[in-house]
Amino acid sequence: MKVDLRRLLVLLPHLLVLRPLLHLVFGLNVRGRENLPVRGPCILAANHNSHLDILAIYAALPVRMVGSAHVVAAHDYFARRRLLFAVVDYLFKPIWVDRESRGDDAVTRMDTILDADESIVIFPEGTRGEAGQLARFRAGVGKLAGDHPEVPLLPVYLRGTERALPRKSSLPLPIWQHVTIGPPQQLVGGIRDITRGLRESICALERSQIASRHKRRPERHQAFVVAVLGIDGSGKSTLSRRLATEHSGAARSCLIGDSLELFAGGEPLAAQPLLKEKLRRWVGALAKDAKSLARYKVPKLTDLLLRDAMLGEARRWYGPDLVVMDGSPLLNMTAWSVLYRPELMSAEFCARAMAILAGKGPAKDPLYGEFPELKVMRRLGLTHLALPDAVVFLDLPPAVSMERIRNRGEKMQVHETEQKLGRLRDAYLLVVEVAREQLGLPAFVLDGCRDPEAIAAEAGELVAHLRIPARGEAG
Amino acid sequence: MRTDPTRINGELLTPVLILVALGLVLLAARLSRNRFRPPGYVGYFWVFLLVCVVADFFTFAPAVWLMAIVSFRALREYFSLVDLRLEDRWGILGAYLAIPFMFYLIQIDWYGFFIVSIPVYVFVIIPFLVALGDSRGQGSLLSIGAIDFGLFFFVYGLGHVAYLAHFSTWLTVQLLLAVAACNLATAVTAKQGRIAGLVLSCLACVALTLGLRDWTAMPTGPAVFLAVLIPALVQMGDYTVGVLERDLGITAADLEPGRGRVLDSLKSYLFTAPIVFHVLRWVMKFGDLVQRHEG
Repeated sequence: MKVDLRRLLVLLPHLLVLRPLLHLVFGLNVRGRENLPVRGPCILAANHNSHLDILAIYAALPVRMVGSAHVVAAHDYFARRRLLFAVVDYLFKPIWVDRESRGDDAVTRMDTILDADESIVIFPEGTRGEAGQLARFRAGVGKLAGDHPEVPLLPVYLRGTERALPRKSSLPLPIWQHVTIGPPQQLVGGIRDITRGLRESICALERSQIASRHKRRPERHQAFVVAVLGIDGSGKSTLSRRLATEHSGAARSCLIGDSLELFAGGEPLAAQPLLKEKLRRWVGALAKDAKSLARYKVPKLTDLLLRDAMLGEARRWYGPDLVVMDGSPLLNMTAWSVLYRPELMSAEFCARAMAILAGKGPAKDPLYGEFPELKVMRRLGLTHLALPDAVVFLDLPPAVSMERIRNRGEKMQVHETEQKLGRLRDAYLLVVEVAREQLGLPAFVLDGCRDPEAIAAEAGELVAHLRIPARGEAG
Repeated sequence: MRTDPTRINGELLTPVLILVALGLVLLAARLSRNRFRPPGYVGYFWVFLLVCVVADFFTFAPAVWLMAIVSFRALREYFSLVDLRLEDRWGILGAYLAIPFMFYLIQIDWYGFFIVSIPVYVFVIIPFLVALGDSRGQGSLLSIGAIDFGLFFFVYGLGHVAYLAHFSTWLTVQLLLAVAACNLATAVTAKQGRIAGLVLSCLACVALTLGLRDWTAMPTGPAVFLAVLIPALVQMGDYTVGVLERDLGITAADLEPGRGRVLDSLKSYLFTAPIVFHVLRWVMKFGDLVQRHEG
């Protein structure tokens, strides 16, 4: 392979000087590196507060992108200092933009760069702005993304740079830099829509990051998680969708059901496709097609684990205020074990199984012998499932639910028989009781036979009532 | 000039064996329990041991500056976590500059100035710097408190580990091993509660201090006293830093780089180092210190 000497000469100062310096003096923590495309170009759009921003982003990029990523920089600012201009021009190969003029050559330059499979780093705010505050976005990024819909657009949130080297200071201080790279956005619409969508996604990253930062006056941003449980055909999907929509009035809510959906102001928002979601849908289909309970087990377990992982993803990338989950992986797994080992089912068993699944159980327990898959999960470090903040169980006689399933006209799944659903229902009731009595969770059993409107109204009231303390903390 | 070389060569084997054995125990703890979340303190335990080895077998200066780096990393993480204002930059700069100053005092062995520099001089200068940065004064008081707290524990407190290594390597090794033993005992008795952990820690420390008497030259009484004091201080430190971590929004489950890794791994040393140093130096007055001063 031919060594590209020019590229090497650009790479060396990056890898031998800038990167080590950033790590040793400031410290660099990168989240979401997996969101970067494995090959091909991408557009990275970040908030801009400091001269360190570009160094932090470059240090977070994989080596293959260091020589081939171009930052959009203001020519009028840098041209004033000749030495700085020369250094920046050599190290970052910027696309120089004059903020005063229209910049048509810059647009053609960007097009050629993306066509050559090289990437672009852009700060849509255009200037460094006030520390820690996201300014208005300029439309250039919307135009760029709109002209190249095939190129992934990644939001990046930088934190720490605004404290390490703020705009008004020329003295850098050692403070950790956190770079969060969000999942690729597929935004449609005009230039304005794309710009607005991008700004929202960076805002969401900011919210989820602020939650993990110390504040003298705490503004904890912790999503309230409601799990809606029920046997098949009890109407839990309908109810969870209604809860997510109706409670998105002043805030953002997120529904984790068959897919991940976002709502704000009662209206659905475009949620970006996540890799785990696609995986989960595929595994879920496998489970639905299973011919026997034994074949159903592994896909269903994987499906539930992925559902739990999606809760983490939703919290990290979207920063919602309320999450409604269609089922709770932890509680579902506990209840579902009744189909496999009915003789073990008891309140004591449920409490133990829930403790193990939440990662709080003892290292040695006879349960591991009973359920080998539990042992595997522990070995893989997967027994850290999230407990919901509140549980709603839709209670329904299995005969009624069978009737509803038959009316749907879909193919029956293996467990959808009256006897098995009856056993599941009893197990769910037990799990809900254990969650209420032993874990102190607010857990409610609603009568699922009634009119869906009445159920939704009652559940809505319960959730609104429960969320008051969470809101009080924020206000 | 620090220690008598004849004393080391003949008796080197046993302490090395103890170190290796303890290393194996820590390694086993790391491998078997909580495989995906190894106990955080292990990392800095080895760094501190390295400080002792360097100090004893080579020269003291690199050991001091190794400790200075640990101190810098701890302070940097603390300042990144605490909500300090942009106006506090001069105060933060002053705090960082205190690190080379303090560790230089240790290197040249100016004990008197080392011990008063933070409580007297730095605690006067930092408020002045913070006030210079922000004459409006909104929130200055809390900033000064937060900066001073970090300085006290991460520079002054950790500086005592280095100073102890300067006085006597074996007293430092004893302190480190005792803290490690306490951490291990707490981890083993996590289910039985704090009291059981304390009792087991005390037993382990008594065995340790008595077993190390050949090298530390400590009489039985003070050795047992120290073996009770250290576990209590370790528990205090762990508990206090645990509360502070909750305030800073750090959960032990996910320590990220720059978000609690260093703080969490140093928590057992923060209370122990300065107090044990003081007890050894001024209350017990024995060992290398006395020999040095008499000689």
